[in-house]
Amino acid sequence: MATSLENPDELDERERRALETLLKRLADDEFVLAERYTEWQVRAPTLESDLALANNAQDELGHARLWYDVLGDIGFEERELVYERDPADFRHSTLVERPFEDGDWADAVLRSYLYDAAEEIRLESLVDSTHPKIADRVGKIRSEEAYHLEHAQNWLERLADGDEGHERLQDALDRLFPYAFTLFEPVDPDVEEDIVDLGLRDATLEEMGEEWLSIVVPYLESLDLELPADGRVGDGTDEFEFEVTEEMLPEERGRDGTHTDAWFDLYDEFTRTYRELGRTETTRIMDKPE
Amino acid sequence: MSSNIPDDTDATPCAYTDYREGETNDDLPATGDDATGLAADVWDALYGIEDPEMPISIVDLGLIYGVSVDDGVASVDMTLTYSGCPARDMLTEDVEDAVAAVDGVDDAELRLVWSPEWTVEMVTERGKDDLREFGLSI
Repeated sequence: MATSLENPDELDERERRALETLLKRLADDEFVLAERYTEWQVRAPTLESDLALANNAQDELGHARLWYDVLGDIGFEERELVYERDPADFRHSTLVERPFEDGDWADAVLRSYLYDAAEEIRLESLVDSTHPKIADRVGKIRSEEAYHLEHAQNWLERLADGDEGHERLQDALDRLFPYAFTLFEPVDPDVEEDIVDLGLRDATLEEMGEEWLSIVVPYLESLDLELPADGRVGDGTDEFEFEVTEEMLPEERGRDGTHTDAWFDLYDEFTRTYRELGRTETTRIMDKPE
Repeated sequence: MSSNIPDDTDATPCAYTDYREGETNDDLPATGDDATGLAADVWDALYGIEDPEMPISIVDLGLIYGVSVDDGVASVDMTLTYSGCPARDMLTEDVEDAVAAVDGVDDAELRLVWSPEWTVEMVTERGKDDLREFGLSI
């Protein structure tokens, strides 16, 4: 691989665009998922699970910040990336923006599983990134994410074990599975190719998507859940192969800038305080006391 | 009423009571033991900064990965125990202010680094004593 892409001043337009696209995918997913998780604070079914999900939300916000920091090197400021950004410019998967129905804990648990399983694959593909700051951050983030997956699976298995819990999980899967496919949809196919060519990430979206399906599909079926869309090809004797077709995908995919209405409501909500205070700086609320 | 609570009580204790133990790193914790001149003064200033939650210096906690001074500019490599640390701005500003206030330092540059990731193995022996005195088992 040619350059280390370390010096932001030396990036050409193609490198810059690839880096920006990759980082916005990463950061926006984490940030928006955290925004949704925080809705469960004081509403989760037990104090332990309330704390766990609040903590996961805090992790995701921390990770979003680590990725937004790298965008800082190429000229972006936090406020432009979060509070002053056009909501249609966010590139998160629509899986993370969907609202929760009141009290639908199974949705939160399943969503977390679908996301965290994908997140592990994605982070693995960044371990040897040619961008030193990306590679520097991956280990820390992975060590924190491992707990999220364990938490989600622990709950999934318990919910799937009861009639009502199983039914709720199936409902959630029917709703969320199409949106989960968008985790591996391109922002722009040419730029996605550049991301891999430049060595920023060492796996394509297709490769990561296939790996994700080969993990989540058998696992969900082991819990007696039925896939709302089954794209498996072959008779099952060969290697796992699953084809995601256009019809299986929702209209709004997030990556390409299309979002569901729920996203715009959420955006209004988390930017409200910023707007009402007339903020122009995000990181400090008041001067440090002497 | 249907219930999702299993009848049998096969509950296992929470698995997260142990702090994740990390691998030891030969160069860390960095403590500035062999620093001289202005760099040693910078390390002294860093020793004076405590973690916001526990009575332990950020150096003994193992947060400082390196210090260099070049032509009056002091550069500090530092990590945080946790990516979602809510005291990040507070701590980094404390460090920048303390280092910039060292006599002979014209400018302080702080770089947040995340690998190797911080683990309890990074805490110095003195830091472990401080934490034990505080009531933590380490």
